[in-house]
Amino acid sequence: MHRRVLRPLRGALAAAGVLGLCLAACGPRPELRPIRFEQWKQELASLRGRVVVVDVWATWCVPCLERFPHVVDLDRRYRNRGVTVVSLSVDNRDDPQAVEEARRFLRRQNAAFPNYLMDENILEAFEKLDLLTIPAVWIYDRSGRLRHDLNGDDPNRQFTDDDVERAVAALAAE
Amino acid sequence: MRFVAPLLLSAALFAGKYNTTVEIGMPAPGFRDLAGIDGKTYSLSDFKEDVVVLVFLANHCPWVKGGDKDLIRLVNDFHGKSIRVVGLGVNLRPDDLLPAMKEHAARVGYNFLYLHDPSQEAGRRYGATRTPEFFVLSKDRKIIYTGLLHNSPAQLRRDGSAQYTNGEPVHHYVRDAVRAVLAGKPAPVPETRAQGCTVEYSGR
Repeated sequence: MHRRVLRPLRGALAAAGVLGLCLAACGPRPELRPIRFEQWKQELASLRGRVVVVDVWATWCVPCLERFPHVVDLDRRYRNRGVTVVSLSVDNRDDPQAVEEARRFLRRQNAAFPNYLMDENILEAFEKLDLLTIPAVWIYDRSGRLRHDLNGDDPNRQFTDDDVERAVAALAAE
Repeated sequence: MRFVAPLLLSAALFAGKYNTTVEIGMPAPGFRDLAGIDGKTYSLSDFKEDVVVLVFLANHCPWVKGGDKDLIRLVNDFHGKSIRVVGLGVNLRPDDLLPAMKEHAARVGYNFLYLHDPSQEAGRRYGATRTPEFFVLSKDRKIIYTGLLHNSPAQLRRDGSAQYTNGEPVHHYVRDAVRAVLAGKPAPVPETRAQGCTVEYSGR
């Protein structure tokens, strides 16, 4: 009698356990949402009150891919400390293969934060975002002010993961 | 410190719209004894042609690969004119070093000199941060144009095809700048925003 009741119960509990584990560890599957430049500005404004780290990347940018795991790690360590990490891909929206590759990369990296694809002609995207080079990391304070614009625009002033780390730690503590 | 101050000053004085280091009209920074894929070494002062077109390249970069055909065409189109096109590699990753440069040039049929600068100084002095990034130098070796080859850079896709980002190119910035130098005039468009892979400079 007991055994008949307990066996299905045990099965249900095991299934719930796996599901619970997955909800906690797997998190939601990373999405890549196209966003126009005007919407992007609104999105940034809506995050006021949080420290915001924007990682600008593309699948054709090898250093971007190499640095991405640090961004994922940063999110894990700081998301409960008032920091929101957002990735912004400047892959060519008109190249379906590139967009799919970007999606696959985000899934492989388990990038469990908002991931956007700039939905503009690629040259216009760079113009509107005033970008010369990627990877670029923009770090905004809680009032929405851009406090760190880390990029490779000057050969003699390159940035490292440590620069990102220090900037985020300082703003999170403010 | 005595040697650092003028460098900082020049960086502050010379900055283009899309380049943090040089600006239009300034003397072209020199480079010396860079190894070419032909086994010889070259300095900027070796080139006696009326126009020098420098282009920073990187084999691994899909924007370079996507633009190779148009670059080769540029050289062909000015055949017989007093112009020298020089490719420069300054990346230090293995697939951007001389052996890989030789292989790439042979495979795609580069018809111009391709030099490598392991010190990366040439790139630093030109403020070259993307590949491809073009610099057109006048007869008196001033920078008269920096930026894109034309208004529709092409990126090599995963299936091996190249895709123009703005359809068929309409504004041929480098070509127009070369013609301007040959005619003794300023470039009609002196500066554009280069599009390509970021050059990786060693820490400083």
